[in-house]
Amino acid sequence: MSKIDLEKLAEQRWRRIEAAANLKEPDKVPLELNLDFGFRAKWYGITTYDFFFDYEKAKNAIIATAVDFPTDFPPLPMFGSGSLLGFALRDHPDISQIAGVLTGPMHDILRDKYTRWPGREISPNAGSFQFLGGEFLKAEEYDDFIKDPFGFIAEVVTPRAHQSLEKPGSAEAMATLIRVAVEGLKYIKAVDSLVNELIKLGYPSLLASITSVPLDFLGDFLRTIPGILLDLRKKPDKVKEACDVLMKETMPRRIILTSKSTGFVLIPLHLNEYLSPKFYYEFYWPHLKRIITDLYNQGVKCQVAFEGRHDAYLESILELPKGWGIALFEKTDVRKAKKVLEGHTCVMGGIPPTLLLNATPKEVEDYVRKLLEEVMPGGGFILSTSTAIPAEVPPENVKSVINAVEKYGVYRR
Amino acid sequence: MSLLNEIVSAFAELDEDRTVNLIKEALEKHTVNEIFDACRHATDIIGEKYEKGEYFLSELVFAGHIFNRILELLLPKLEKEKTSTLGTIVLGTVEGDVHDIGKNIFKAFAEAANFRVIDLGVDVPPQKFVEAVKEHKPEILGLSGLLTLAIDAMKRTIEALKAEGLRDKVKVIIGGGRVDENAKKYTGADAWADSATKGVKLCKELIGLKE
Repeated sequence: MSKIDLEKLAEQRWRRIEAAANLKEPDKVPLELNLDFGFRAKWYGITTYDFFFDYEKAKNAIIATAVDFPTDFPPLPMFGSGSLLGFALRDHPDISQIAGVLTGPMHDILRDKYTRWPGREISPNAGSFQFLGGEFLKAEEYDDFIKDPFGFIAEVVTPRAHQSLEKPGSAEAMATLIRVAVEGLKYIKAVDSLVNELIKLGYPSLLASITSVPLDFLGDFLRTIPGILLDLRKKPDKVKEACDVLMKETMPRRIILTSKSTGFVLIPLHLNEYLSPKFYYEFYWPHLKRIITDLYNQGVKCQVAFEGRHDAYLESILELPKGWGIALFEKTDVRKAKKVLEGHTCVMGGIPPTLLLNATPKEVEDYVRKLLEEVMPGGGFILSTSTAIPAEVPPENVKSVINAVEKYGVYRR
Repeated sequence: MSLLNEIVSAFAELDEDRTVNLIKEALEKHTVNEIFDACRHATDIIGEKYEKGEYFLSELVFAGHIFNRILELLLPKLEKEKTSTLGTIVLGTVEGDVHDIGKNIFKAFAEAANFRVIDLGVDVPPQKFVEAVKEHKPEILGLSGLLTLAIDAMKRTIEALKAEGLRDKVKVIIGGGRVDENAKKYTGADAWADSATKGVKLCKELIGLKE
């Protein structure tokens, strides 16, 4: 394709996504495929260890799969975990970006305790790095955290969470930070180059950012999930105060950071499925609602991944401003979600990756046809897998999804 | 209300302090088996409330926490007095997956239901499961995993059992947030569960017990 054709293709893809997000019928149902890192590595013929520890290989694997499995959304240009160091350094925005992602080599340098990597703690062919979290804030330390959350993360959490930073001010700690910075620059260079390559391939440039709800941040990074669930019962006032202070501290920055966004602000949810209504409506939903609404008022839309089964809280989504963004569902049936949220929220999802593991390409095609018949009328729907597609899914089944959308997902030629 | 009935209701209502105090009191007056029966009754009620949507995962995690505290209190007497179990479950998170929240909730509920649970931990290679099946001769093998990538490791584990001629010696249940009927077929398991309470119910069915 010529350069002009590719620009047109990118424009067409973006219009498609935008129309669906704006609750209209695009020319065709937009498609996203959440190919897991392991799937991309396997397709490119490398181990996941190679993928995570050699940025050039990761970039090439992502490009190879973006070419061979074309969709409307570009692959997320990120191949690492969220990093505590990024939060510790958030008042230094000139360099916090460098430390905002934790990559395989950075894991080696920092010797962090909260992630596990292929070829290190787990098998070189394990499908992805894994985020474990840890209890880096102790239950009795909430008051100190609340006084100055990011200072606490920098001064108390950081030495606890990274073995190489155990002694702040030591030569080892200083060398570690410099090594991370050198590595971070390499990573950013690879990501920038990946983003440019994806644009050259006709993908829309979705400059996005990722953010989280305060309670998820506490659970994931500082208290562990069982830990935060116990805190909700044993010290609810402290948890609430911590969430409120995180909200107050992070919201203005969230608005600044996302003001240049050309895509959607991603909000992956973790605790939504865990929480009973009492906890959900007191400790979780108010913050999620405020993040989405404040960003919407600034002209920024969110894409929220409602992890697990969100059925109990489906209707609360209607409290958000109409057309606020995209709701991706994992185990909540998108047919049901579409009915409840019709004309209000763009619904995304529909394909369980386990279906792709087992079925024949013909069965995949039939599944997509039937699903689209039900959910595409009226627009406001994006087809995607509910979670990541693991390495063992037969590639012909992924292709069958792409072909089925071409065949059955067209609103108008 | 009898002391044992009070334990049932305090535990089912997730009143941690009251449950713990009642258990301490009961240890003076009742056998471990009687106390254990009360706890089992309570976890059955908790399971029902979860299936009905009255309780959520936050409640199951907390119930697991309370049960583990109860076990600590009972343990000194438990080994001496406790007579029989429903059967043995060898349990672990499969290779490549290091998550254990779901596994641990399942373990607490399975123990409360009177299964003996051998917990192999996380990131357990197929061969280690095979060895544990040989050693402990469990009625049930429980394979847990959070991520979609775990499903293939479950399959590899079941294949390793087959290769050793052990597949028909043990029932296999897979569990985790992302397993489903498709995953069951793909892995060749006997049952699947995406919640701890459902998992325990199925384990009872697998060994021929009806509710």
